[in-house]
Amino acid sequence: MTVTPDDDFAAAEYALGTLDPSERAVMAARRLREPDLDEAIRAWEARLAPLAEAAGPIEPPRDLLPAIEARIRSATPEAPGNAAVASLRRSVTRWRAAAIAASIIAGVLAVGFIAREATREAVPHEYVAVLQKDAASPAFAITVNLDTREFTVRPVAATAPPGKAYELWLIDPKIGAPRSLGVIAADSATRRANLTQYDRAVVEDATYAVTVEPPGGSPTGQPSGPPVFVGKLIPVGP
Amino acid sequence: MTIRGEAPGRGSPAQATDSLADLLGRIAARDAAAFSTLYKATSAKLYGVVARILPRGDAAADALQEAYVRIWEKAGEFDPAKGSPLAWMATIARNRALDEVRRVRPGSLEDLPESFEPAADEVDPLAARERSEGLVKLLNCLQALDEEKRAVVLLAYYRGLSREALALRFGRPVPTIKTWLHRSLAQLRDCLAS
Repeated sequence: MTVTPDDDFAAAEYALGTLDPSERAVMAARRLREPDLDEAIRAWEARLAPLAEAAGPIEPPRDLLPAIEARIRSATPEAPGNAAVASLRRSVTRWRAAAIAASIIAGVLAVGFIAREATREAVPHEYVAVLQKDAASPAFAITVNLDTREFTVRPVAATAPPGKAYELWLIDPKIGAPRSLGVIAADSATRRANLTQYDRAVVEDATYAVTVEPPGGSPTGQPSGPPVFVGKLIPVGP
Repeated sequence: MTIRGEAPGRGSPAQATDSLADLLGRIAARDAAAFSTLYKATSAKLYGVVARILPRGDAAADALQEAYVRIWEKAGEFDPAKGSPLAWMATIARNRALDEVRRVRPGSLEDLPESFEPAADEVDPLAARERSEGLVKLLNCLQALDEEKRAVVLLAYYRGLSREALALRFGRPVPTIKTWLHRSLAQLRDCLAS
């Protein structure tokens, strides 16, 4: 169950994806023979995997599902259950991937550059924040797309106080008094584009705060009380 | 919510309450309808993961396809004790994308077989709030890192940037980036374990 500290870092970097191609190939090959190392990689994958949930969805090309279904149909034997064969096939696939990766020394830099340039338009500049009372009680997660100034607020563990509503505010010295971003639902995601009127710097630096208000939101246009949940954005790319 | 006509001899019909874990269980029993439902519920999420790492649409689509074939093959290995279904699937998809981006040339193109009718019903297991706890904890731990070091981890994760690309981006030597990564990852590990 134990690996050396060096191997644990290598496992971490394998899971994060920062190993260069030859190092990655070595790890991919080693994990097939070394259960402890494989376990360490899986542990790191599990630690980091929740991040994937914060990545905004992007619609894939429409014709993919039929292609995948056709592939799994042809790959599934009439009498399913030959696990040994399936397992062998997987091993072969992994070995092949490792071998291909090992045979190539990287143009990683170039790939990185192309990635940045080519995705600049397709992939949104996104930020996320967790709005919480303290570290132990997160209530909402907010995702902001800086390109469209759209935000999505998802309840994590929020329950609306009876007869009241939650209202989201943007607080930043650059804009003076708190600005309302509207009432947000406690039981479903709320998506709006009303950050469009604010500068990028404001959207990036602001504190996002939630107050408890009468149904429909604060009657005065200003928070009725202190925020119950607050958070600041962190970038998720690019 | 429509309920699909029952697939003869296979489990129960899809329902709005299907969770991703239930779907994976049915897929492990080779339920093609469950697979289609799972794909519709999760493909935009997984494509969001791979397309950020693979800028070329065809490469991203290939990786997504490979990932779902793998999910079909490995559904029986999903262990709910070790994380959410979405996290498990995203890891598979992300590894496909990383394998691809750490190669210089794109892989061989698959022949696309002819299509057939996908099952027509709408189920959204993602509406269930089964996903958030791990993310919240991880984000809290990330918030404790210095801003630059946090950005390094996030760019590596979401964009698949290599140490060299990160070094260039942050104007630091590669060994410095490596040191940052190791310290940040150790800090995350300890924070998540606390």
